[in-house]
Amino acid sequence: MMDLIYEGKVKKVYQDPKSPERVIIEFTDLVTAGDGEKKEEIMGKGKLTSELTKYLLGYLEGKGIDTHFVKAHDEKQILCRKVEIYPVEVVCRNIAAGSFCRRYGLEKGKVLEEPLVEFFVKDDGLHDPLITQSGIVSLGLVSEEVLQFMKSVTLSVNYYLSELLQQRNLSLVDFKLEFGRTDAGHIVLADELSGDTMRVWDTNSESLDKDVFREDRGEIIEVYAKLIESLKESKPEEVEDRQEIIQVIVMPKKGIKNPPGEVTKKALVRLGFGVADDVRVGKLFSVVLKTPLTSEILAQLKLMNIKLLSNPISENSEVNLS
Amino acid sequence: MSIAVIRFPGTNNEDDVLKALGKIPDANPYLVPSRKGLAGLKDADAVVIPGGFSYGDYLRAGAVASVEVIVEGIRDLAEDGKPVLGICNGFQILAEMGLLPGVLLPNDSSRFICKWIYLKVCETNSIFSENLENAVLRLPIAHAEGNYFCSREQLEALRDEQRIPFRYCDSHGETSTESNPNGSLENIAGVTNQRGNVLGLMPHPERASRQILGSSDGLLILENFVRAIK
Repeated sequence: MMDLIYEGKVKKVYQDPKSPERVIIEFTDLVTAGDGEKKEEIMGKGKLTSELTKYLLGYLEGKGIDTHFVKAHDEKQILCRKVEIYPVEVVCRNIAAGSFCRRYGLEKGKVLEEPLVEFFVKDDGLHDPLITQSGIVSLGLVSEEVLQFMKSVTLSVNYYLSELLQQRNLSLVDFKLEFGRTDAGHIVLADELSGDTMRVWDTNSESLDKDVFREDRGEIIEVYAKLIESLKESKPEEVEDRQEIIQVIVMPKKGIKNPPGEVTKKALVRLGFGVADDVRVGKLFSVVLKTPLTSEILAQLKLMNIKLLSNPISENSEVNLS
Repeated sequence: MSIAVIRFPGTNNEDDVLKALGKIPDANPYLVPSRKGLAGLKDADAVVIPGGFSYGDYLRAGAVASVEVIVEGIRDLAEDGKPVLGICNGFQILAEMGLLPGVLLPNDSSRFICKWIYLKVCETNSIFSENLENAVLRLPIAHAEGNYFCSREQLEALRDEQRIPFRYCDSHGETSTESNPNGSLENIAGVTNQRGNVLGLMPHPERASRQILGSSDGLLILENFVRAIK
């Protein structure tokens, strides 16, 4: 008998008896919608969500994204790194659907100008309300740096999932992610990734996700199985790597003379821009990564700053992920 | 006395240094392009890092050169107690390496300064300044980033450990704000490491090594450097 450490609407998390740093996540056959108002047990559904999660998290790991997924355990269970889940859900949208349409009075299917990342407070009692980035930081839910990190990884996930689905003529409409922190302090993609947490449409805008259950449009088992089948035909190795651009900003410390700023200010005043009372000139480095951002890479970027990009005696440096 | 004179891409004072050292008996200076790496320092009893604009002064003066492979060899020689002299850009490299404390910031005038200055010898326990009690030397400077800066703690340590052998002064040896050409803390023109075998110096002794150049005072520093080589 394994120790149950968490029970969600459709998932159970057990302590791995073999390692204190790992957990076993079990997907139940329960399907819920509408904040738990609609609920049904459907045989075989847990197995399918487990299978999708395994496939997709495994794929993302292969593309360099740090996830909690370790390996399959049994058909309804996966073995994962134990993490402390951040109290914020991250949603990424490419096409308007669901609550987003109701919120802004949009027609379902409107293609967004660019991928939109939204945040929601993880709180069932409050029905997971939408929150702004500054709201998250002000409430102390997650630090600015972690938030930027989650946003960067979410956009990477969006690219890699979209490209893979595209190969199968499927569109990634939107998806929800959760992140967690390992004991070692690494921020990793956690939770599941399946038809329960993403919307996928075929070329006729037919859903291959939980919307068929939400809207009574078909058998969830059938569409999940179809999605898995389709994904198994994809070729992950043909999805091209996405470049990640990180900015490092270096500024002279307060009190350190900054001749470039002084001469620039003089020139501005000469042009009549007396409004410039002081100007300080720093440096901006654009560091291009070949892989998605991970905690390991973030640590390296910080080290780069100290070892070469800035001189800590006279300069301050900061890594800007956004 | 094999003296490795290092040339990084952008170093341009190596010929002057080789020529000036070449006139000192027993000194055997030879050019080592930095690409030779550690092998280039195999026979070195001492090292000079001449001035110039290593790697175009990109990033910060001396920063890129300070992470080259050959620099690890210079660090090892310094740790063995071998004399190491960094002149101008060489000083900037030694500071970026962390072999000397502090940093050379842009001159407080915001300008490149090229002129003759006077140097007061402040400590004579250093191998570089011995026998030069209270001397006032005349040397040229030529730099845009020579404004020496370090933390208060580092400055106190430098003072307490008598590691500031050279300061800018006037022709009478007075160190004042007026005789400070670039805004350096306490008129500092050169500092040594704790052991005293590594000197970073902004003025150019090699450009003051013959009367015909306007002064031969720099030769005194170079002779001290050569004498210290065992």
